Amino acid sequence: MRIPKSAIALLPFALASMVFLAGCVKSDPPRFNLNMVEVAEKELTLEQQQTDADVLEALFGTPDDPFVLPETKLNLDKIRLAAGPVWSDQHGKERGLFRRHCVHCHGITGDGAGPTAAILNPYPRDYRQGKFKFKSTERAAMPTDADLKRILHDGVPDTAMPSFALLPDDEIEALVEYVKYLSMRGQTEIKLIDEITQVSEGEKLPLNREMLVDNLLDGAAKKWATAADQVVFPPEPPARTGSALEQSIAAGRTLYYGTIANCFKCHGPSALGDGQASDYDDWNTQVHKLEQALGDSDAIAQRRATIIKDADENAEKTRQDKELSAEDKETALKSIEEQKAQAIYALDLKYKVIEALPYPPRTITPRNLRAGVYRGGRRPLDIFHRLYTGINGTPMPAVGPATPGGKGTLTPEQMWNLVDYVLSLPYEAISRPPRPANPLAQD
Amino acid sequence: MAKFWSLVFLLVPILGVAIFAVSPGYKWWLPPDISVHGRTIDHLFYFILYLTGAAFVVTEGALFWFLWRFNSTDNRDPVKFTHGSHALEVVWTILPAATLLFIAIYQMNAWAESKIDKPQMPSTLEVMARQFEWRLRYPYPHPNLSDPQDVEDCKLGGKKNIFLVNDLHIPVNEEIVLDLKSADVLHSFFLPNMRVKQDAVPGMKIPVWFRATTTGTYDLACAELCGWGHYKMKGRLTVESRAQFDEWLVKKYQEQQATQEAPAAAKSEDSP
Repeated sequence: MRIPKSAIALLPFALASMVFLAGCVKSDPPRFNLNMVEVAEKELTLEQQQTDADVLEALFGTPDDPFVLPETKLNLDKIRLAAGPVWSDQHGKERGLFRRHCVHCHGITGDGAGPTAAILNPYPRDYRQGKFKFKSTERAAMPTDADLKRILHDGVPDTAMPSFALLPDDEIEALVEYVKYLSMRGQTEIKLIDEITQVSEGEKLPLNREMLVDNLLDGAAKKWATAADQVVFPPEPPARTGSALEQSIAAGRTLYYGTIANCFKCHGPSALGDGQASDYDDWNTQVHKLEQALGDSDAIAQRRATIIKDADENAEKTRQDKELSAEDKETALKSIEEQKAQAIYALDLKYKVIEALPYPPRTITPRNLRAGVYRGGRRPLDIFHRLYTGINGTPMPAVGPATPGGKGTLTPEQMWNLVDYVLSLPYEAISRPPRPANPLAQD
Repeated sequence: MAKFWSLVFLLVPILGVAIFAVSPGYKWWLPPDISVHGRTIDHLFYFILYLTGAAFVVTEGALFWFLWRFNSTDNRDPVKFTHGSHALEVVWTILPAATLLFIAIYQMNAWAESKIDKPQMPSTLEVMARQFEWRLRYPYPHPNLSDPQDVEDCKLGGKKNIFLVNDLHIPVNEEIVLDLKSADVLHSFFLPNMRVKQDAVPGMKIPVWFRATTTGTYDLACAELCGWGHYKMKGRLTVESRAQFDEWLVKKYQEQQATQEAPAAAKSEDSP
């Protein structure tokens, strides 16, 4: 039987499509991005940015080949399970967990700028500042592993963070370790950029153990290692049933509308989250401030013109200076030129960084307490933690003591009253709230 | 030979039937049915499959025969044109119409059983679909019957409810009615082993009911493309005895009421 020409004619198409599909496989290995907002804010030169990248790679490796020093107290095996490209080994064990589950929102660097970040509200968490909202520790402390696990397990309702409850425990633990790794890397970078800007001109950042480990790494590493010691253990609550609960709720309501706790200022007189809403959280503040400092395109053009004008005037003055030798003049002129170039570069960089951000800064909305949705968990314990330490990185203040053992704005019992009140709000008819005649006058 | 294409087209029905025949052996076929009404659904499925399967084989056979008999290289007979056949058109209109009408009537009970005749009982739980997870809400199983307020609180929607995500538990051999809602866009609640699939529509509370006959863990999936994270919207269905189910609910409620971190709270035992 002869195969007709038309069938043979199809062959090149089949081959071409195979080649086309195979072409999709290989690409450059991904790299960690620099913290460009920080770089632009501190006006790092290209050379300084290179130092930043080099030091970080030496301390933390690359996304495909992560590395940690023993000083970080991180478990490299767990990190390796979560890092790298997505694949399954011969036992069916899944690898590259971070890229499988997290990267499209949180980004390869953990900067919360993955491809899907721009369509989300709220934006995904940027780990690099080491600020986490929902945790059981003191306000400025890092979260414990259990806190991070809880968020992965339950997700964050009302946000795009889904629940990963069905992942096996070891995968959750690997992801927790990887989040800590990215966060520690980000915190180290912020410190490193700070150090780089403090190096005086003509000198280089000393790349010795004292600088790299003791100075850069240790701060963040110690914070993470001691997180478990900074857990806040609330005292036992008063009875939470029957008439005792009703009294507690009533006391909580008084506190809510009182001027000491001041809850209604943001969460609103109706607790619908309709109070003051013009604040930014810490992540958005940084970008917002940079944007404000930079101004609109007219302001940028004007500043650019000023830089050029000042430099030109300066150069002219140097040229006219009769006391300088020809050689000195040349050096001075060269330095003026260099400074001008750097100032223009820094200005352009700020503009470009803000332009390139995947999303504009956004103000933070106070929670609607009547929705019955609790982002950090709905256990009374969770609500207590939100009150006691506030919510790190947001305008939600702490009503507990600033330092352990100190005196807080509210007593623990008052906090429990507020917890009971907050938990009762979703079941209270908003049109008939049982409250005193003039709640704002109460205190 | 010029019969190449006719033989290629003959392969279509042969391979189609062959793949169908070997599928169950390779576990490519339907997942095990663990529900009561699943038999009816499967019966309808097979009925339509065999009907369309037979039509498919006959049609493909006819196509093969025409290709074989009238291929342009060997066939020297002149082409014959007709101006249609009234009788033939009547036959091929009435036959499918009658078949469709028969199916429409034949499936009415199955449809009514799974979509219309809702069991008269309070809902077992509420399922809120959202991008990209299943948020579940259960009533508390042991209300204090001497306290009317507590009875009220323990009902679905009351203060004493259990809130969970992606981990759907149900008691075995009991009618389950769940209130399906959506928080954002269209989703579809799909329990393949239960032969249940129902769209979740924003703004609507749609009841879904079924009865499981076998304990074990099964899949819960979203069967409506609901956004970029659709593939993530996976849950787990656990069918267990009534006693285990109640015990599990009480345990979850206690965890939810925690005012202190339990010593081993971080260790959850619901991982598979």
